[in-house]
Amino acid sequence: MKEISLATAGNGKFSRFRPRSGISGVINNLILVILALAVVLPLLLPWFFVFKTRLEFSYSPWSLPAQIQWNNFQEAWKAIHIGQGLMNTFWVCLGAIVCTVPAAGMAGYIFARYRSKVTEVIFYAVLVGYFVPVHMVLIPLYQLNVKLGIIDTLPGLFLPMTAFGIPFWTIIYRSFFRGLPGELAEAARIDGAGHAGIFFRVMLPLANPATILAVLLVFIGSWSDYLLSLVLLNSPRNFTMQLRVAQFLNQYGTDNMPRYAAAAVISAAPTLLLYIIGHRWIIRGTLAGALKG
Amino acid sequence: MKNGTGVHVLPQTTILHRRKREKKKRDWNSIIFQAIFLLPAIAFLLVFMYYPIEETFRISLTRSVGLGDADFIGFQNYSRLFASTEFRAGFMNVLAWAFWSIVIQIPLAFFIAFSLTAYRNRLTGTLRAVYYLASVMPSAIVAMLGRFIFAPRFGVIASLAEALNWTWLGRIDFLGNPDIAFWSVFAVATWTYTGFPIVYFMANIEQIPMEIRESAQLDGATQGQYARYIVIPWVSYAIRIVAIISTVGSLKLFDLPWLITSGGPVHATTTLAIILYKQGFVNWQYGRAAAVGVVIFLLSLIFTVAQFSIQRKGGDVN
Repeated sequence: MKEISLATAGNGKFSRFRPRSGISGVINNLILVILALAVVLPLLLPWFFVFKTRLEFSYSPWSLPAQIQWNNFQEAWKAIHIGQGLMNTFWVCLGAIVCTVPAAGMAGYIFARYRSKVTEVIFYAVLVGYFVPVHMVLIPLYQLNVKLGIIDTLPGLFLPMTAFGIPFWTIIYRSFFRGLPGELAEAARIDGAGHAGIFFRVMLPLANPATILAVLLVFIGSWSDYLLSLVLLNSPRNFTMQLRVAQFLNQYGTDNMPRYAAAAVISAAPTLLLYIIGHRWIIRGTLAGALKG
Repeated sequence: MKNGTGVHVLPQTTILHRRKREKKKRDWNSIIFQAIFLLPAIAFLLVFMYYPIEETFRISLTRSVGLGDADFIGFQNYSRLFASTEFRAGFMNVLAWAFWSIVIQIPLAFFIAFSLTAYRNRLTGTLRAVYYLASVMPSAIVAMLGRFIFAPRFGVIASLAEALNWTWLGRIDFLGNPDIAFWSVFAVATWTYTGFPIVYFMANIEQIPMEIRESAQLDGATQGQYARYIVIPWVSYAIRIVAIISTVGSLKLFDLPWLITSGGPVHATTTLAIILYKQGFVNWQYGRAAAVGVVIFLLSLIFTVAQFSIQRKGGDVN
């Protein structure tokens, strides 16, 4: 049941109530399209400004640019070293994925397939972690990182991130592995596979859908993080993409609007690109997580 | 069937065989395997979650500045906190935020989700993707776009007002006026937070069985009646879940108000999490910051327990 929902969440047979009149349907769709435009508009509007000089913008912000200026992009890129920010974010995402997904997958497998009193108790201890907001522990996390000597380093960011991602993904993996037929494991056992062999050769490949979701959503989560990075990273050299966006907001403000718009376009681009490629998976993954609660 | 090896389906003879063997000795192979597989997750949680949780409670009862020694001062941090106007403002903002999220975002999301499923056509899939788009945007970028719209003088609204000669609109200070700032930030939040309830409600509405829908149609129910008597009761469980998610989200709210207005002007957009951050990392008052953390934790715990009891009662939509 569970693995079916994971594969088909938000993709099932659609319950449609056929409208009686065509006109109301047209009006309805019109409203929906207008609302959708309202969603896209803040992402499109910067394009009006990015190609202009500051002077041109202040005289006629809404006209077409007299001459296309690319240096706003260059300036925005250089102002906050976006290249370095992308690299730092990349390492944080990679670290979070490499730490979270295997740890959660292995633990979820034990909780699903080796159920005993001991593992149940441990599972509830992990489950509790799902309800702990990271906000609560910011102060001790900071102090802990200082003690461990990993304050203001990228591992110092993605290790706590991992800890706060593990409970959720353990729950997802557990319910996924419980949905897999036990006969497969038994067949492998009869063929002489050990505990680890069954997991790596039989169960793990079957869990690919869950693993893909975990990789994708952990990536998005660590890509988007702001608060934890703000607290645990201090030196601008280590700033992730989101910290640099915030830095731009605070240092440069909106006085030079064309450059600001260019920064907005640049910083939104990677997420936009990822979403255009993977929006089916992203929505499906979010729903699979939410429907399970 | 629990035989210590986690095998659920076994031929009868194998079971007897295994049981006999297990009585003699424990299956150490299996135990070691389980321990190795659980170790990484447990280690991460112990070091970076459970230990910090314990520390939060301890620190919240001390007065400490920076990394120096801390004095035990009982509940003074809490009583100071509850007495401060900033904390009260933050608490009220969080409550107002949760209330308006429920009152505005949920009906909006339901309307969009219902319309999308009711008049399903070629556009629907694309529209759903568009509506969810703002939800995946990182909050720092959302804040950037929010300032882009609401900034004084050069913001989109301000420059539009100038182009149209609407001085009344140009005069509104969206981020600097304490009466308006909350709503400007809330508008930005609605933009990004409505995407999830939309796709979640859609997924729920789509699971209404064909027979129910058809019999409603045969009985001559109008669109409105169908929504009122069938769809809303059907998704009431989902609505309650989203209401709780919004409430817990409000308790943790930090990024948007911090990046758009820094919690100001005065305390107009401050939240519990902003107070925590300012106490801890601006004033270096660890004790008071930890006390705010405990408050956030306890409040969100109450709502999460409520969510769980709803899920128990309502059953999962799966």
